[in-house]
Amino acid sequence: MKTSGTAKWQRSMFIASFTLPTLIFFCTFTIYPVIKALYYSFFDWSGMSDHMDFIGLQNFKDMLHDPIVWQALGNDYFLVAGKIVGIMLLATFFAVALTRFGFKLSGFFRSIYFIPNVISVVVIGVLWNFIYNPQIGFLNAFLSLFTKEPVTITWLGFTSHTIWMLLPPSIWAGIGFYMILLVAAIQNVPDSLYEAADLEGANQWHQFCHITLPLVWEQMKVSIINIMMTTLNGSFVIVWIMTEGGPDNTTQVMGSYLYQMAFRQYHFGFGAAIGMLIMISSLITTVVMQRLLHRETVEMS
Amino acid sequence: MALNKKIAAAGLAAAMAVLPLAGCGSNDKNANAGKSSDASPSASASASAAPSASASASGDATGAKLTGDFEIQYFVGGYGDKWWKKVIADFKAANPDLNVIEDGGPKINDQNKPRWIGGNPPDFVYIDGAGLNDRQMVEDGQLEDLTEWFKTAKNVDGTLISDILTQPPQQYDGKVYNIPLVLNSWGIFWDKALFKEKGWTEPTDYASFIDTADKIKAAGVTPFIHTGKYAYYIQDAFLYPAIVSANNDDYSILQDMANSKVDAFKSPAVMEALNKIVEMRDKGFIDKASIQINHTDSQMLFLQHKDAFIPNGLWLPNEMGKDVPSGFDFGFIPSVTQKAGGKVVANTSTATVAIAKKAKNKEAAQAFMSFIFSEAQASQWAELSGAPSNIKGDISSSSAPNFVKDAAKFLNDPNTVVVPTITFNADVEKVMWDSTDALSIGKITPDEWVKRVTDAAAKVGK
Repeated sequence: MKTSGTAKWQRSMFIASFTLPTLIFFCTFTIYPVIKALYYSFFDWSGMSDHMDFIGLQNFKDMLHDPIVWQALGNDYFLVAGKIVGIMLLATFFAVALTRFGFKLSGFFRSIYFIPNVISVVVIGVLWNFIYNPQIGFLNAFLSLFTKEPVTITWLGFTSHTIWMLLPPSIWAGIGFYMILLVAAIQNVPDSLYEAADLEGANQWHQFCHITLPLVWEQMKVSIINIMMTTLNGSFVIVWIMTEGGPDNTTQVMGSYLYQMAFRQYHFGFGAAIGMLIMISSLITTVVMQRLLHRETVEMS
Repeated sequence: MALNKKIAAAGLAAAMAVLPLAGCGSNDKNANAGKSSDASPSASASASAAPSASASASGDATGAKLTGDFEIQYFVGGYGDKWWKKVIADFKAANPDLNVIEDGGPKINDQNKPRWIGGNPPDFVYIDGAGLNDRQMVEDGQLEDLTEWFKTAKNVDGTLISDILTQPPQQYDGKVYNIPLVLNSWGIFWDKALFKEKGWTEPTDYASFIDTADKIKAAGVTPFIHTGKYAYYIQDAFLYPAIVSANNDDYSILQDMANSKVDAFKSPAVMEALNKIVEMRDKGFIDKASIQINHTDSQMLFLQHKDAFIPNGLWLPNEMGKDVPSGFDFGFIPSVTQKAGGKVVANTSTATVAIAKKAKNKEAAQAFMSFIFSEAQASQWAELSGAPSNIKGDISSSSAPNFVKDAAKFLNDPNTVVVPTITFNADVEKVMWDSTDALSIGKITPDEWVKRVTDAAAKVGK
């Protein structure tokens, strides 16, 4: 009995030695900041001074009455929807094209499509700023080839809905990674299934719908949820580089508005409240998406 | 005095080095700071001023001896830190019993932030660069009220400081908290060479500006470009002077606006100024690209002669440095929005110095103020930082480029209204930027501009 007790204790120690450090790190770098942010969101604080005024839920009430918050929230979900549709369609198309049709240059194309992922988002933002530049930009120059008068569209300066213009760079930047993810998933599907389908006379479309799609669904689900979360939490960078939320807040997302309020307009408490909104909305969206995307698991044998 | 003239001239010549403002990255600033010393053609001429400067510095043993610790926080950006090193060394020499601690660097505002938050700030602060906003610091109660001190404060030469400042300190509800150290001016630039070649008249007032813009447009060049991404360029160089002109050259309206007084925004002067932007917009003078580009892009297009006028600050020629095409000759006027024969309005841009409310050695901080606002130290500022200081000086005879002469002429002319630096409430200012952008692309009317901004001001005021 004595020895087994020691063994048990040793086993517990062994497990603890792996889990405790992780738990401590998690608490210090995730739980603590979240609680701290929640705490600050109850204060009126400039972020620079030595005094803070406790105002309870006022920041959250102000948020409800701030039209820019709603615009930012709408823009965020617009980007989420646009990116999911755009990235998943293109990434799936490319992944199937590169695996199922087995042409010679597939390795080359795989690298090409992945390149945008290696480039920093900041560089992508600057690059697309040049593409969209109304005077010296590529897009207007290209369109001008087909018109008599030179085209002078201000791609990032519409009076509303300018957020649409941020969709192409975001999609372009995202395709590569999810394509690789799906390529790996498709390669895991046993060839025998496709061979059997071929013998039965199923065409490529049928094979895609009835073999590929069900068997890579788990990866697609992960991709979709991942796109959603990275967009809600990370669209700040591309917005800040390309438009800083302008013109007139038409491209404002929650992340950029948080930064604007906390560090440019000295409302740190309000910024923290926006941060809580971001966290809550991504949590809720994740749960909803999980439910919506749930399907019977298909076993590969 | 002849020497001082030269020194001041060197300062303006190197005004080119003045970068700053939120729009420019700090890397930029540092890169240009290095250049500025070579850029000043008469730097060697003014170098001889140094001995006299330190001479008067040591002769300042007035009043009681300063003791204890004295801590100075200074941001290092486009103006470099040579001046600070020198002036602090001089101050130490004059006060051997004082232990002067320097907190300097390009990131110092962030590094010292915890100490301001923790109620243990340095004694003396130079307010420049990202992360410090004078109005916010006043509202947070972090700065010492200098109103009384400033009324009677004399510099080390025994002159009233208020007498030798080119522009007075900003007033917050009638109170003074920070004193401007660096002087710069906003205005409208053009290329004199291009105007000569095309036979366009250089603008002197609003009528001639519109007239010339018509001709420019007819010649196939877009008359006016600005940066919509940073709407303060068009506001500081065009809208605010227009408001002052429309308000019979009384700039107190801008101060009321800065204090978020709702009625100030409803003034007919504001409406008249906004309508000038509308007129430019409707006549197609504003380059359509403006709304989406940043300041650098707008400046590039201006240098490429795609556009004839640009609202900017005196740092523009140096900021663009080697991108300026040869033969390009900057013309400058602080404002184009005045009536024919009316006064020119120069809206200035400054960096200021202040004393922390929780300073532990206020006596030393005040003595340091008196020390730096002297002619000797001011001329050193011009020489070492490459930017004009806020101390009055005559800047006429020099080999400076045209725009510097123009600027100097305007700033010293009694017929120029020099507007002291104004820091708006950050919330109101952001709404103004957004609204001005929206106005410039025809999304809203001037009435809606006023509505939006008064709403924001009312919210701040309550």
